[in-house]
Amino acid sequence: MKNLLGAVTLELPVSRGCLKFIMLFFMVNTLGLQQPGAAVVPAGVTLHSTQTIIRNNGSEPESLDPALIESAGAANIVRDLFEPLTANDARGKIVPGVAERWSQSDALTWVFKLRPNAKWSNGDPVVAQDFVFGIRRLLDPKTASKYAHTFGDFFANGKDVANGKKPVSELGIKAIDKTTLEIRTETPITFMPGLLANPNLAPIHSKALETHGKDWTKPGNLVSNGAFVLKQWQVNSKVILEKNPQYWDALQVQLNQVTYLPVEDGNADVKLFETGENDWVYQLPPGSFEKTLQKYPAETRNSPMLGLRYYSFQTQSAFFRDVRVRKALSMVIDRDLLSQRVTADGQTPAYGLFVKGLEGAEVAAYDWAQWPMAKRVADAKLLLQEAGVKPGAKFTFIYNTSDYHKKMAIFAASEWKTKLGLQVELEAMEFKVLLKRRHDGNFEMARNGWIADYNDATTFLALVKCDSDQNNNFNCNREAEALIQQGSQQTDPAKRSALFTKATELVMADYPIIPLLQYSLPRLVKSYVGGYSTENVMDRFRSKDLYIIKH
Amino acid sequence: MSTEPTQPTQATQPSAPRSPWRDARDRFGRNRAATVSALLLILITIVCIVGPWLLPHAFDSTDWNAMALAPGLANSHWWGTDESGRDLLVRCLMGGRISLMVGILATLSSVALGTLWGATAGFLGGFADQWMMRVVDVLYAVPYLLIAILLVTVLGRDFYLVVLAITAFSWMDMARLVRGQALSLKRMDYVEAARAIGVSQARIIATHIVPNLLGMVVIYTTVTVPAVILTESVLSFLGLGIQEPMTSWGVLIQEGAQTMEVAPWLLLFPAAMLSTTLYCFNFLGDGLRDALDPKDR
Amino acid sequence: MLAYTLRRLLAIVPTLLVVIASVYVLLFSAPGGPFDSEKAVSAAVLANLQAKYRLDLPLWQQYLHYLSNLLHGDLGASFRYADWSVNDLVADALPISLTIGGTAIALSLVIGVVLGSLAALRQNSWIDVSVMLLGNLGSVFPSFVIAPVLVLIFSLWLRWLPSGGWNDFEPRFMILPIALLTFINVATIGRVMRGSLVEVLHSHFIRTARAKGLSLRLIVVRHALKPALLPVVSVLGPLAISSITAALVTETVFSLPGIGRLVVNGAANRDYTLILGLVVLITLVVVTLNLIVDLLYAVLDPRIRY
Repeated sequence: MKNLLGAVTLELPVSRGCLKFIMLFFMVNTLGLQQPGAAVVPAGVTLHSTQTIIRNNGSEPESLDPALIESAGAANIVRDLFEPLTANDARGKIVPGVAERWSQSDALTWVFKLRPNAKWSNGDPVVAQDFVFGIRRLLDPKTASKYAHTFGDFFANGKDVANGKKPVSELGIKAIDKTTLEIRTETPITFMPGLLANPNLAPIHSKALETHGKDWTKPGNLVSNGAFVLKQWQVNSKVILEKNPQYWDALQVQLNQVTYLPVEDGNADVKLFETGENDWVYQLPPGSFEKTLQKYPAETRNSPMLGLRYYSFQTQSAFFRDVRVRKALSMVIDRDLLSQRVTADGQTPAYGLFVKGLEGAEVAAYDWAQWPMAKRVADAKLLLQEAGVKPGAKFTFIYNTSDYHKKMAIFAASEWKTKLGLQVELEAMEFKVLLKRRHDGNFEMARNGWIADYNDATTFLALVKCDSDQNNNFNCNREAEALIQQGSQQTDPAKRSALFTKATELVMADYPIIPLLQYSLPRLVKSYVGGYSTENVMDRFRSKDLYIIKH
Repeated sequence: MSTEPTQPTQATQPSAPRSPWRDARDRFGRNRAATVSALLLILITIVCIVGPWLLPHAFDSTDWNAMALAPGLANSHWWGTDESGRDLLVRCLMGGRISLMVGILATLSSVALGTLWGATAGFLGGFADQWMMRVVDVLYAVPYLLIAILLVTVLGRDFYLVVLAITAFSWMDMARLVRGQALSLKRMDYVEAARAIGVSQARIIATHIVPNLLGMVVIYTTVTVPAVILTESVLSFLGLGIQEPMTSWGVLIQEGAQTMEVAPWLLLFPAAMLSTTLYCFNFLGDGLRDALDPKDR
Repeated sequence: MLAYTLRRLLAIVPTLLVVIASVYVLLFSAPGGPFDSEKAVSAAVLANLQAKYRLDLPLWQQYLHYLSNLLHGDLGASFRYADWSVNDLVADALPISLTIGGTAIALSLVIGVVLGSLAALRQNSWIDVSVMLLGNLGSVFPSFVIAPVLVLIFSLWLRWLPSGGWNDFEPRFMILPIALLTFINVATIGRVMRGSLVEVLHSHFIRTARAKGLSLRLIVVRHALKPALLPVVSVLGPLAISSITAALVTETVFSLPGIGRLVVNGAANRDYTLILGLVVLITLVVVTLNLIVDLLYAVLDPRIRY
């Protein structure tokens, strides 16, 4: 009889009772009644004898401390080491993590029941207090976490705690008992379970932290509650994880070892893939998508992500003060040509703030998106004329050095030159310098981009809200701001979505940004890696959902 | 007895004096590799200067319907186009202008600074040598990336500032090389003699030390040229050098290396131009050194 | 000579102080700081970060703090690699860079001297030209072109060697990086050797030896080689320094966890402590190598006295 785990066979002499148990086990698996979040190995798939995988992460993690991680790569590793209350499965759906189930006692209060068999890698049970400790620590100003406000502002008193105005004890999180956790939010947050799946909100073993101090994230010291433990960490070389036998769902975890590589150079990444030293390319180098698709049709993956490529206007600058100028520049860019020929890597045009797959608001596009280009150009020319901008006028566009951004910038500049007669001076600079200039408002137009921290419209609204740290455009629409405030207080998701959609319409009518493309991550994944899905819009893959097919 | 002075016969007419420069020119002429290289360099320079005026395409005109075309005789893109549809041939020539200018300017200034510094330090010896060379050590230790970032962001991105930035971390090698030579030269008998008769140190450096260093300096100058041109490409790659749409061989090669398997001509043509030019500099340098060798008489 | 060596070693201290001070000034003048990131940091968190790393103190106080920690051998905690101390990072990366760079320099010295001598002895012949053509390949193509070509040939087509990575000094990961660095350095050493040997071969004492009837081989090995090596040794210093501390392209293409990557990541991320720690290390390397080179001068040319 074919089995799903690839190990136990019926050749072993088993007792009747044992047999019954085994059959029940298989029935449970095949009927999909298994515990949620497990590596679903489809029927008929034979597993490889060695269950190890090598994934490239794109960069060396800045830390493995859940409170201090910022990059997607570090989040990938922490996602394997630590399990928060909830989690994203391979298709991006929210599934239970340490929390078995949850409910809302009122609009602002959530109660999470933790599973009693959840354990740390050292055998200690995972208790509600571990979450209280971890999340308080994330918001504690002393930890100085950059994500304190991103997630903290949602908790009751979170903003004040993160600003140091209130003590951490006043944060809206409480352990009712060992397996019950109560969370109070500042405003009604319908997507709270989704938010809590973030690796930053992981539980932390307080004793381990106290014992090892700042070395607590090193192999041998790190106590994890996720599917894997940290075996080895060589900076700029590799991070090796091993299966955690104490994990409550260990039986469903197929992989025994996961190696993460920190290779930044796309070409080097692909070379490692081609010589068999890498199973999972982080991202294809720019311009190579079509050729790679031809060469490796089955292994090239490209799924849309919750991310937006856009250009920021400095709406206070002399050149871009007039909304007509901004609208004109946005209208004439041929985003179809941009996505099909220039970037040519499967990204889709974006004509609004929100991208497809985002929840919490409607994806809307400008009305002129449907017009033929000739009409758009004619209108744009008129707008420029009205605003008093003559052909030959010059402005500067800044971007950070990268072949990809350069190609897009050259395209945009040529569009503005040929269609509107504007002279664009392209200025490349180092990333940190770009960040500083954007932050200081010392630019006219700047290259920008954003990837969602969680799947809700508010993560993108931060880019255009008044007084937001993420708003590089220095725009402010008070009317829209009021609507956003209203929306945040709404408990009815439909009404909330409508308010956010309307607010965004108002803001985008000011043309603070030029939305260009929706991000996608073109990469190579070996065909024997099972569990990969193209529906995962946040590119969050737990290694526990992956397995190696026989090859 | 005749009172008229007799004219010397043809046989005893003394021949025209042979200057060392004539010797050098002859020696150089006999070195085929060097003469070919010199001619080739002149040719490349002329083509880079004049070429863009004669070619049909501008170096910065994009053509989104002609992206990454392979080289061909059919259209007017004889060397193909890059990923933004810009003609590669004219971009190689424009890039040549920049690379050659940066290469020559930055090399000349590093060589001048390095030679003077090293010769003085080596010749003076003792305390002066110690401190002058410690300054060189300090400059080696400081990461040039930081200096480059600072220079460019504070002073701007002018072409001459790129030259300055490159000079700033290219002159030290020459200084050390020259100092080493100067240390041995200053023990020479003719130097001792000059000192004995009271020639000033500055004059000794200028008239005895520096000319005898010339051989090594020439060689190392032609080692410096490729290094400078390549440094410029690293700077541009980091966003600290030549700005778009301007280009240089280094930038073209770096872009070509990224798309090596998809569009190999983007790498081959600029790399061929660069390597040919640098080979020419190498052979030229060796030839000059051989020609100017004071001992080869 | 001993006194000279001691004086040079003592000079390390003021050199270090000047270097650290200069880098401090450079770091704080460069735009952008370690905490600037895509995710904007609120003023409150920024203040905490600055306090945590003592960046809110005046520059001279930070400088003194750094020096006092340095005396205890503590290079501080890295900003970019937040879980690691600079000591750990440097201790892990240095052996790798030393091995790869050191081996490459040794190889390129031997090969470069042989090639240069061959060309010098057959000056202006076709052997001279072809040896120089081959030898100079490494200096007319940028390293970021040669490296991928090496990978293409040896990893993808022939499948003899891995295309990158590192595993505890396993030889198969070291071959291509060493080959790349050697290839590049051979060009410089070869040309300098050729020019220098040609010059020496034309000098009077060599002429005398030849007139006396000594064989060419004897002349070259016993009389010409030592003075000819002087310029070679001069350039060896800077080449060794850059091969060990600045082999960025090599480390990037072959994914090696060496010093070069730490330097560039540190500068790009404004990781103050990492840069300072690396600078201290590089200063020590530079001073040591230059001292060795200077001492070698005295060995090779008995006229040189300090």
